[in-house]
Amino acid sequence: MPAIISPGSQTTLAQLGLPESFTPAKLRLPTRMFPAEKKGEWEPCKIREIRSKKEKTKTDVVEDGSSDKKEDVDMLDVDEANGVKSLANGESRNEEDDEPLYEEDPYSEEGAVYPLKGGIVTNWPAFLALLTHVHNTLSPPFHTPILLIAQPAWTSHDHELLTQFFFEKFKTPAFCIMDSAMAVCYAYGIGTATVVDVGYEKVDITAVSDFVAHEVGRGVAISGYGGETMTQSLFELLGSKGWTRDMCEQLKKSNICEVLPQGTILPGEPQNDAQTITNPAAAAPTGATESGPRVTISDVDMRDDDPIIKDGEDNDGVLDVASIVASGKTAEFLARKEREKAERAAAKKAATDAANAVTKPTRLPNSKKDRNTFWYEERRHSHEDSDAVNESGRRATEPNGSKSGGDPKRQKTPEPEAEPGATSEAKGDAAGDIAMTEETEASRREKDKAARKEEKRRNKQQLLAESRDVLRKEIEVGVERFMAASGGILEGVADGIHRTVLAVEEVGKRGELWDSLVIVGNGSKVRGFKDALVAVLNSKYLISPSSATIFTSELPSNLSTPLATGANTPQPQLPGMSHSSNVNPLLLAATTASNPALNPAASVISHQHQQHNLHSSHGQTPTSIKLAKIPEYFPEWKDVGFEEALFLGAQVAAKVVFVVDQGISKGFMTRVEYNELGPSGIHECSL
Amino acid sequence: MSGVQSSSVPPGAQEYGGDEISALVLDPGYSSVRAGFAGEDVPKSVVPSHYGTIGPLDSPEVKYIFGDNSIHTPLPNLHIHNPMSKDGTVEDWDTATKLWEYAITSRLTNFKASNPAMNGLNDPPENGGNVEADIEASGEGEKPLEDNPLLMTETGWNSGKSRERSIEVAMENWGCPAFWLARNGVCVAFAGGKASALVVDVGVMRSPLAGNFISQQLRILFSTSNPQIPLIPHYLVASKTPVDAGAPAVATYRQFDTSIHDSFRRLEEERVLQEFKESVVQVWQGPGRLNSGQQGTTNEEVVKSWPGRPFEMPDGWNQVFGGERFRVSEGMWDAKMALTDPENPAPPQSQTIPALIQASLAAVDVDIRPHLLANVVITGGTSLLYGFTDRLNSELTQMFPGPRVRLSAPGNTAERRFASWIGGSILGSLGAFHQMWVSKKEYEEHGAGIVEKRCK
Repeated sequence: MPAIISPGSQTTLAQLGLPESFTPAKLRLPTRMFPAEKKGEWEPCKIREIRSKKEKTKTDVVEDGSSDKKEDVDMLDVDEANGVKSLANGESRNEEDDEPLYEEDPYSEEGAVYPLKGGIVTNWPAFLALLTHVHNTLSPPFHTPILLIAQPAWTSHDHELLTQFFFEKFKTPAFCIMDSAMAVCYAYGIGTATVVDVGYEKVDITAVSDFVAHEVGRGVAISGYGGETMTQSLFELLGSKGWTRDMCEQLKKSNICEVLPQGTILPGEPQNDAQTITNPAAAAPTGATESGPRVTISDVDMRDDDPIIKDGEDNDGVLDVASIVASGKTAEFLARKEREKAERAAAKKAATDAANAVTKPTRLPNSKKDRNTFWYEERRHSHEDSDAVNESGRRATEPNGSKSGGDPKRQKTPEPEAEPGATSEAKGDAAGDIAMTEETEASRREKDKAARKEEKRRNKQQLLAESRDVLRKEIEVGVERFMAASGGILEGVADGIHRTVLAVEEVGKRGELWDSLVIVGNGSKVRGFKDALVAVLNSKYLISPSSATIFTSELPSNLSTPLATGANTPQPQLPGMSHSSNVNPLLLAATTASNPALNPAASVISHQHQQHNLHSSHGQTPTSIKLAKIPEYFPEWKDVGFEEALFLGAQVAAKVVFVVDQGISKGFMTRVEYNELGPSGIHECSL
Repeated sequence: MSGVQSSSVPPGAQEYGGDEISALVLDPGYSSVRAGFAGEDVPKSVVPSHYGTIGPLDSPEVKYIFGDNSIHTPLPNLHIHNPMSKDGTVEDWDTATKLWEYAITSRLTNFKASNPAMNGLNDPPENGGNVEADIEASGEGEKPLEDNPLLMTETGWNSGKSRERSIEVAMENWGCPAFWLARNGVCVAFAGGKASALVVDVGVMRSPLAGNFISQQLRILFSTSNPQIPLIPHYLVASKTPVDAGAPAVATYRQFDTSIHDSFRRLEEERVLQEFKESVVQVWQGPGRLNSGQQGTTNEEVVKSWPGRPFEMPDGWNQVFGGERFRVSEGMWDAKMALTDPENPAPPQSQTIPALIQASLAAVDVDIRPHLLANVVITGGTSLLYGFTDRLNSELTQMFPGPRVRLSAPGNTAERRFASWIGGSILGSLGAFHQMWVSKKEYEEHGAGIVEKRCK
């Protein structure tokens, strides 16, 4: 029953155990720590000292002075009568009145330290404290192997430090570090892919071929292109209108914020203005000929597309053309018709504008609306409120999620009450009886479902309880909501992708890499981002078939070039032949043979076959750009989207490495190996 | 060095010394800096040698920009430079040091990230010697390479002064415990598994007729063809539309408020040329030269009748290149065939690849020559051009009809491009090599001059 930890710059995902059907991460914690009272120690949330003389009758106050280590935040117990919650793990105790009291403020970010910046560990003590906190929150039993998802930006030295830390601090029996791009490939079940991970402040672009990440030319932590960049550009646009950063952040996460494909005319704006804003370059003086995506659409035409107006009024009725022509007044008639049409259009325009103003446009798609609204949640700071104490229980795993770095829409998969039971069961079969574990997991999933319903109900109650703290405001916003990506993020990421793929030495592989783009990361969650990115790639980099070779390209490519001797032709290489430092793909084939859903290697083989048939007179790439197919067999992931696919991949890998393979092919490092080789031994066996 | 190569007996246990060390190998070149741990098969960190600066160069507020991630973003006042000279030696030591440090610390080892007063690392550990404290302590090093010996490569014609400079950088700036300077030719031979070899290293700049020469030839080709072929780098194009071959480009261009420096544009143009070289340029593979041939026709005529290869520029302009794509590489073999323009006269005939090989073979003892010819190792990115190996083979057999000529060129592209780093990696991980290191103590005793005495 392995534990999986995946730290990100904003949110750290973690989970203990592998459910039968892989689910999104059970535990989502913000990647931040707060300096504790004592120097050098860290707390997972803001600790405030209060000197309350209130009589504590019902509420237990958590004493959190020196260490939070033992708390289990997930074991919430709800006192439903008064909406008060307390920690139910026996750690809490009543306080003497004269001692200082401490309370946790789960929402405050005051003094927070984010130890990961742009994927790079900037504060090791805080980062290690965070890992400790995550580990304690999971509270795995002994003999739990750990899989850690590594940011691409971590250096070899970082890997060694973490190895040492995990083995010596947590006494884990087995440990494995897996690259995040590789994890995404496992999730998608493809061995060759261009993985674009849009994070908080950075984007990672990795070309993976045959389960080997190309280190050379890899776009590691390209800073300045991420979700935060988009918030920033929204803030620049709206800041002058009295918006706060938090409002921009929530706007970005709301479903009305959209990235429209380049050159799309924004609704309700005169055409020229719209263009200069979405794509400054498009309005710039161009070269020899005017061209391209600047399709001129008149205002009237655009209105015609609107579903509301398209009530058939515009198709001038059925005309007896013959009689009109025969009457010889064609020109006159047409002129009159035109005039009528224009009048009608004008009237209609006024009508829709009015309709928009009354916020009536229910049927219009967001991208056509002038203005739209979203719910903004503001958290009131009410520390002296007695409620504040209750909140301590909710803290990091705050299910509503708006502060925990996730999407507000996404509900955290609830931690079922079954958890303590499962944990103790696991303790029982610590020796690693797989069948047993899986059985219990199945039953657990059943309980999960029941628990989820329960949880939903509870969430509602919590929401009610919270409504005292949370101010919900409906905020209206104009076309600025389409400009989140106006800061050049799409172009920057596209250039990075182009650079990364062209840095792959095997020229034959590049076509395949362009055909299997994988865009993940919560930064890419903004509506329309992926499509817009692919559109930018297509319009900037796609090589169209040359009109000059339309006939010759039918010939096999080796007719146009001298037969290669092999020595100097970049040939596609068989997996595993050229690289020794990776898990043998054959291992995957062997270990996952029983479960075809887990078998990414099978698709490698089919890709290989395709490759041999490929020919093109173009040595240049890309001749086509496609997103890789989203894996179908994970129902739980479908609802939440595959932005966090790396966690899914981590579960697949954990299953393969720890359960199926059990170390035969050195997928992980055991304690024995650690004792022998030391931390640097991790390079021998990490994924 | 010869001691290492001839030792066929396994070294005694005591010779291994620090078996646990993880040596770093640094292989700087004109186009990229390769760095990685000895014993690995490809360098983990490959950083372009070009770097950017923002702001006036000599002022303290100049901002340096290193690495592929950042130097390709068009920024106002961004200037692109290269600390290396065209023959692969270091020109600007201060920046080269910074660049190498970036190459090493960004991917391989850690470097102090924050101010030591602020990051909490220097606070007295209160939890007495537990793991966290140990780890904190290990991050405390003042210098990036305090526990990694460093093996650096150099060109064969590196001056004594710059050799001394490199050990100074390693010892003083980076605090390396041990250092070694290896000739990259020797490293390539190592990577090829040869004790003696004729190394033909066709990189970007090392001989005047390498990668940049072909870029230059391409530029001349583009500017002299009629109509001129536009060389518009990607960053200037917002989007493009397919056009017929040879037709003027139809694209929307990006407009910048502030002017972008020419050096940046040149760097970006190189990227396009690089793609062109990869997908279009070809070497006439022999026999004979491009302008010779049988039965009254020249090979050039033959080549022209072959189907061409199309290339599409970033702005959508595209054309099929027939004979021209052979022509641009022919100057490497035959100076008379090089394309010229007023600024770029033809290279001297003595600088062509066959002439260089001839000259270097003439410099060695006549008895060794057949042995060397049987062990020709080819490396460098430019040697990856289509037909390069065949052509070299045909030229060599023509020049030296007697002895057997055997070329060894790794088929793996990474091995071909990074052969000298790989050789260094093999060398650095050899157990027997550990006694060769110049240790910090020796350096302190004898000064920088020790590198001249030891690293031969």
